[in-house]
Amino acid sequence: MAQMWITMGPQHPMTHGLWTLRVKVDGETVVDTEAELGYIHRGVEKICESRDFTQVTPYCDRLCYVSAMTWANSYIYAAEDLLEADVPERAEYIRLISAELQRLASHLMWLGAFGPDIGNLTLMTWCMRDREMFLDLLQELGGSRMHYNYPRIGGVKRDIPVGFADRMIAKVKLFERRIEEYEMMLDESTIWLVRLQGVGYANAEEMVEAGVSGPNVRAAGVNYDVRWAHPYSVYDEVDWEPAVEKPTSVKGADCYDRYRVRMEEMRQSCRMVLDAIEKIPGGKNTNYANGDEMIYQKAPTRAPEGATGFSNYECTRGASQFYVKGGGDGRGKNPYRLSIRSPMFITIPFVAKTMIGYKVADIPAIMGSFDPCIGETDR
Amino acid sequence: MGTTVTLPQNEAAANDCLAAINSRFSGSGVVASVERHSNAKKYAFVRITTPPQHWQALAKWLRFDLGVNYCSMVTGTHFPEGPQERGWEVAYHFLRQPITDQLPNTHTVYVAEKLDGRLIPMEFEVLIPLENNDTPTVPTVQHIWGGADWNEKETWDLVGIKFEGHKNMFRVLNPHDSPEGFHPLQKQHKIRYHDHNEMYDDAQGFGRKPADEGRIK
Repeated sequence: MAQMWITMGPQHPMTHGLWTLRVKVDGETVVDTEAELGYIHRGVEKICESRDFTQVTPYCDRLCYVSAMTWANSYIYAAEDLLEADVPERAEYIRLISAELQRLASHLMWLGAFGPDIGNLTLMTWCMRDREMFLDLLQELGGSRMHYNYPRIGGVKRDIPVGFADRMIAKVKLFERRIEEYEMMLDESTIWLVRLQGVGYANAEEMVEAGVSGPNVRAAGVNYDVRWAHPYSVYDEVDWEPAVEKPTSVKGADCYDRYRVRMEEMRQSCRMVLDAIEKIPGGKNTNYANGDEMIYQKAPTRAPEGATGFSNYECTRGASQFYVKGGGDGRGKNPYRLSIRSPMFITIPFVAKTMIGYKVADIPAIMGSFDPCIGETDR
Repeated sequence: MGTTVTLPQNEAAANDCLAAINSRFSGSGVVASVERHSNAKKYAFVRITTPPQHWQALAKWLRFDLGVNYCSMVTGTHFPEGPQERGWEVAYHFLRQPITDQLPNTHTVYVAEKLDGRLIPMEFEVLIPLENNDTPTVPTVQHIWGGADWNEKETWDLVGIKFEGHKNMFRVLNPHDSPEGFHPLQKQHKIRYHDHNEMYDDAQGFGRKPADEGRIK
C-alpha cells in the first residue's frame, strides 16, 4: 500500500498543547514520525536577561501552567546556588509540601486528560474534582489558583495560614482513599487495559540515552529519582520511597506501567506531605509574619560576573534544570544568561520515535502516557 | 524515612571521578576540579574545562569509560565583550545515573545510603570556551549521547553556535523560515525595554514604536 504523511496537530486533542506530529503511515501502521515544536515559543530565556533575579520567578511559574510551583522552586534553587543564599529549615519544609501538593494536582491533570485520550470521558470530571482540593490548598499559600509566585530566594513569600495543616491533612487523607477508587475504576476496566497494555514499549537504557527522565524512566524498573540522587530539600527527613514499577516485557515499560507509576507516585506524595506537616519546625499551627527569619532569610541581590548557579529538580514530568550566569545588566542585578532544561523538550522527540510500528489509534495512548506539556517544551 | 545520597558518598564519588579524569587527561589542556553547590545541601560536582579540539575524545571517554550516560542540558552563551579566547562558551551538563535495563517482572530498588563506587549518581559540568569571532564552532556529541541531539539543535537555533558534524540540524523553537544568521540569544539583539531605566520611564509603553517604522511607505 502507498505510504503517506499525515499531520496531527497543532489542533489535535492528542497533542495536549500546540505542536505538530507528522506521521508517515502505511495503512494503519506508523512507519515514521517527525515532531515539530516551537508554536508557543515566547523567549522566556531572553526576557529573563532583562529582569532581576526576583522578577524571574513569575516567568518560571508560567513555564508550565499545570505545575507552576515545581518550576518556580526549580529556578529558586538555581538562584540560591548563584547568590549563595541560606534557607531556613521551616521554609524548606513548606517548599516540599507545596511542591508535592503541586505534583498531586499535576498528576491529576495528567490522569484527567489521559482518560479522554483512551475513551474514558468520565475520568476528566473526577480528576478535576480532586484537583480542585489541591488547587484550593495552593491558593491558600500563594493567593492564586495557578501561578503562585510563592517561593523566594532565601525562603518563601508567607507562612502557612492558620488551619491550613488541618485542612490539608483532611483533604490528603480523603484523596488517599480516592486513589483506591481510581484504581478500582481503571485497573480492571477492559477498555483501559486493552488500550494501554502492550503499547508504547520503551527500555530504561534507551530512555536514559535519549534524555528521558522522571516517572517515565521509573516505570521501566529503576527507582532513580532526583530527590534522592541529587537531594535538595528535606527529602531525607520525611517518610517516602520513590515509586517504581516492574516492566512486564523485555521491551521495557508500556503505557500501563507509566500509568501505574504515576498512581504510586501520588500515593508517595500524600505520604510525604502528611509526614512533613507533622515534622515542620516551629509547629504546624503557628503562623509567622511575612519576612520572619523562620521562613525567610535575606539574600544578596547581585551576582558577580563568572558566578554560575545550577539546579537539578524533580519536576512532575522529569528532571527540570536551570543554569544561571551572574553579571548581567544593572551591575550584576540581572542574570547574564539563564538557560532552562525542560524534560518534555527532550522527551517529545523520543516519544515520537517510539510510536513507530504501532497503529495510528495507539498514538494518543502513547503520547498521553508520557505526560506532555507544551508550555515548558517551547519556553 | 527517605534515604538520600549522603555528603561523604557524594564527595568520594566526585574525588574518584576527578582522579580518573586527571590521570587520563592531565597535561592536555583539560582542566578538572571538584566544586560545591552553594544551595540546599551543598553537594559536590565535577567541573571540566576543555578546549574544543579535545572535546570529542573527552566525551567518548566520559561516556564509555566513566559511565556518564545522561546528557541533560546544553547552554550556549555569547560574550561579545569577552577576551579573544572566550567570546562564546558552551556548557554541557551531564549526569551519571545507575540505570540499566530490567528483566520482565523485576525491578532494581536502590537504597541511596548503601550505594558505592560507580553507582553513586554524579553531576558533571563541561565548559568549552570558544574564540571570539563570528563563526563559533564546536564538535558535536550527538552520536555519543542521544540526549544531546535536540539540545544542540536548540543551542544552534537560539545562540547560533555551530555544532560541527551534527546531522539533521534544523530550527526547533524559532520559525523554520527565520532569516539565516538570526539567533535571538546573541547579545546584539536587544528586546524592547532591555534597559531598566527605559522600563520604568515608559512602563505603559506609550513611547513604543512599531518595529517596522520607517520601512513602510
